[in-house]
Amino acid sequence: MTNTLQDAGMSRRKATKVIAGAVLGAGLARPAIAQAITVRWWYHFDNPQHTPAELIAKFEKENPGIKVQAESIPWGGGNDYATRMFAAVIANNAPDCALVKISNQARLLEMRALHPIDDMVRGWSARGDIADDVWRVNRGADGKQYYLPIQYVVLYLYYRADLLQQAGLQPPKTFDDFLAAAKATTKGDVYGFGMRGGGGGHDHWGSFVLGAGANFDKGGMVSPQALAANRWFVNLHREHKVFPPSAPTDGFRQIVDGFKAGRTAMTIHHIGSANEMVQALGDRVSAVPVPRSPQGTGWTSFGDESNAIFASSRNKEAAFRWIAFLSTAENNVAFNKLTGQLTITTSGARSWDLHPQRFVDATSQSLPIATVLPDRPQTPDFTRTVWPTNMQRALLGQIAPDEMMQTIEKHFNG
Amino acid sequence: MSQHSSRRDTVPLTPYAFLAPALIITGLVVLVPALRTFWMSLQDLILYRPDAARFIGLGNVIRAFGDEVFWISLRQSLLWIVLSVGLQFLLGFATALLLNQSFWWRSAARALIVIPWALPSVIIGLMWTWMYDFNLGVLNDMLMRLGLIARPVAWLADPDLAFYCVVLTLVWQGFPFFAVTILAGLQSIPADQLEAAEIDGATRWQRLRHVTIPGLADIIMTALLLRIIWVANSLDVILLMTGGGPGYATHTLPLYAFQKAYSAMEYGYGAALAVILTALLMVVVMGYVRRSSRGIAT
Amino acid sequence: MIDRRTSLRRTFELHVPLAMIVAFALFPYLWMVLTSVKPDADILQWPLRYWPSQLTHEHYVTLLARTSFAANMGNSLIVAVGATAVGLAAAIPAAYAFSRFRFPGRRALLVGFLTANMFPIVLLILPIFVLMRMLGLLDTFVGVIAGHATFAIPFSIWMLTSYFAAIPIELDEAATIDGASRLQAIRLVILPVAMPGIVTTAIYIFITSWNEYLFAMMLAGQDVRTVTVALQLFIGEFSIQWGLLTAGGTLVALPATILFLIIQKRLTGGLTAGAVKS
Repeated sequence: MTNTLQDAGMSRRKATKVIAGAVLGAGLARPAIAQAITVRWWYHFDNPQHTPAELIAKFEKENPGIKVQAESIPWGGGNDYATRMFAAVIANNAPDCALVKISNQARLLEMRALHPIDDMVRGWSARGDIADDVWRVNRGADGKQYYLPIQYVVLYLYYRADLLQQAGLQPPKTFDDFLAAAKATTKGDVYGFGMRGGGGGHDHWGSFVLGAGANFDKGGMVSPQALAANRWFVNLHREHKVFPPSAPTDGFRQIVDGFKAGRTAMTIHHIGSANEMVQALGDRVSAVPVPRSPQGTGWTSFGDESNAIFASSRNKEAAFRWIAFLSTAENNVAFNKLTGQLTITTSGARSWDLHPQRFVDATSQSLPIATVLPDRPQTPDFTRTVWPTNMQRALLGQIAPDEMMQTIEKHFNG
Repeated sequence: MSQHSSRRDTVPLTPYAFLAPALIITGLVVLVPALRTFWMSLQDLILYRPDAARFIGLGNVIRAFGDEVFWISLRQSLLWIVLSVGLQFLLGFATALLLNQSFWWRSAARALIVIPWALPSVIIGLMWTWMYDFNLGVLNDMLMRLGLIARPVAWLADPDLAFYCVVLTLVWQGFPFFAVTILAGLQSIPADQLEAAEIDGATRWQRLRHVTIPGLADIIMTALLLRIIWVANSLDVILLMTGGGPGYATHTLPLYAFQKAYSAMEYGYGAALAVILTALLMVVVMGYVRRSSRGIAT
Repeated sequence: MIDRRTSLRRTFELHVPLAMIVAFALFPYLWMVLTSVKPDADILQWPLRYWPSQLTHEHYVTLLARTSFAANMGNSLIVAVGATAVGLAAAIPAAYAFSRFRFPGRRALLVGFLTANMFPIVLLILPIFVLMRMLGLLDTFVGVIAGHATFAIPFSIWMLTSYFAAIPIELDEAATIDGASRLQAIRLVILPVAMPGIVTTAIYIFITSWNEYLFAMMLAGQDVRTVTVALQLFIGEFSIQWGLLTAGGTLVALPATILFLIIQKRLTGGLTAGAVKS
């Protein structure tokens, strides 16, 4: 009797230890016998039915001795993923590598949480398959490379071809075209432009305000052309009423669903939602790059995603092998089939068949004006709270448009 | 009474032994982290610049008092608590009284009432946001079919409506708690007292007023107190439905603290906002402890 | 005649208002259930489609066969039962002490437990995360349950103290005079009489733990992931799996509702009245 009890207690303790050990990773207490290195990797997929299991199996077969322990982290509008990541860094429990976005790079670097990968990239034969521009966009503020790009999207203008045709209009190329198209298609239950005023909607605003010359350098938000552009943008809602009244708090879900349901004639999003839009609207949906300012300038958001290796990792070489594997030609294509985004590799893009061609074209035509927000510690707070709060107040007439721009200027430049 | 006091004399350690497990666990998982957060609230601490942290004493509190958004959030927090808890309580109380009678579908009604409470906030937030949706929401569609509104309403984007829409969601989520708690409390009201009152000719209202409510006073007060604390700190539903917007229309103090701590990563300031909220709740609690009846806390 | 008047009165004073309350409580849930059996194309249709063009169970099949949802439900069950057990085990003796003894520090401790509940958890989570890391409890059931103890114990202590305090002290004194030990008095007198309160408290802890997100998201990894976190995984960066989400939401409400359906019979009158009289 006593023996059994002890056994039970023992095995439970042992089990707990094994579980704890397994999850805490090999870095903590690596068993002396085991040769295998375990690489912990964090990711987030939009579709919970998709798993990276096949890619991992392929990698482990090609790289005996390395095991990949992949963990999906809830995205939670970006909040959960970032909170979890920063908490792990603070508690010295970061994974070996993880999916990351440029907007967090400055903060991670300030915390000295990342490991530069310049040397490893130099020795990586497939590095040339990723365009130089992409490498450059992802470079750290100190000139070193920390991010290994894995996929991207570019925001462009979705439009209802049938509605524009009925109005006798071409897809808009300039801001003036855009206003005309929005006004012409706003009637009855339909609004001209599904604008995203909730968190993350700065991309929409950016095309019209950053595109007209506003920028994040000192004074860049309060220059005459920046203020004028912002007034023009706010007036789309207040004066021309081409946004649905729900625009101030609409998120990506509302703008995509509203467009799919035929309640808006245009909106700005990327190729990630192309397939579901075609499913709902068929040939009636098409896309062009976002319109440009009267001066010919333009801005659209480059939606980046990379892998990075954490400074605390004890398996940096193995981690690099895994993330390099994911960014290599056919593996990268397979990865993007799971995420619905675009391959970062030049070779993979040549035979791309995941999305209808017109959306791939709209993406590549947008590349010349596609860029990311400045890689600064203030950026995440700008996109999550400063921009939405002040944009909403301006759209609702609670503050003047200029006041919004002054607040943004202050946020970035004191 | 004499027995009571003699017990106190003879076994001075017994109550502490009874309290030990609760004290040890709570001390470890709440007190230690709370003290750490309190300590951080006294610092100018940016999460991504841990080395640059410096002690500033009450600097964060002073900063809050000069922060317009703090006052907006505080005012809305008070309204949020009063409305949400008040309406949850009234609806829950009425539900409990109804569910305490016997009728043929009572078991079913009791179980169905619990459903809103049995759903996670993530589902509640998404479903209600979707029902309120301007384009595809069932609320607009039904109200228009009924002819109550002529055009769809942007419920969550209208600063005058958004706050009350979120309150309604929270009332929906929380009233089952009061219904269940008060229902349990009703079982402790001796049936013979109610019968005696009825025989004496008391109307139903009089019985409610003079027998039921006094008998429930303790439970009601405790439930209110615990709910106030819970609602005061709850932010997940707001975060999912409006993110605090439009503008500051649905900002509450914990939401603002959350934004400051995680979005701006000004953890020191966020922690200070949380400490202020705790201090204010403390005032409510002390008021309760002073006034509490039947000696729960005397 | 009298019968009909009474039954009419009962209809308006009981059945109609209660039916309205039940409808209010149920409507959003029913809307979700209805969505979960619609084909994807119906879900976001405009004009709104109330009744599915065809009933489908595809979302449930996908949910249970192609995601980890079933395992997550199991994890949630372990966490919620664990939190309820820990909460009650710690709170029953504590509440007994608060309701039956007068001792130095009593009031301060009682208020202290409440204060523990007052601090916004979002700002406690980071230090708790670091603490759990130090204790090696990250990604374990014990860690999540300990996290849930932060609300379970203080809440239970307060609820139970007020339920216990409502029981006349003569009852357990009578038992001790009859030769029962203090523990026997608790077991034989206090617990049975306070059962409705204990059941209510247990339901509260179970439901709160079942629905808790922040601790579960931060402290639990993939292996002990609970159902709330799994639901959050259906809300991606660029798309929402409405079918899976509503199917999951439909299922996630069931355990607590069934639990309550079973134990609500304990919430029937007369218990205390009888006990006091004896």
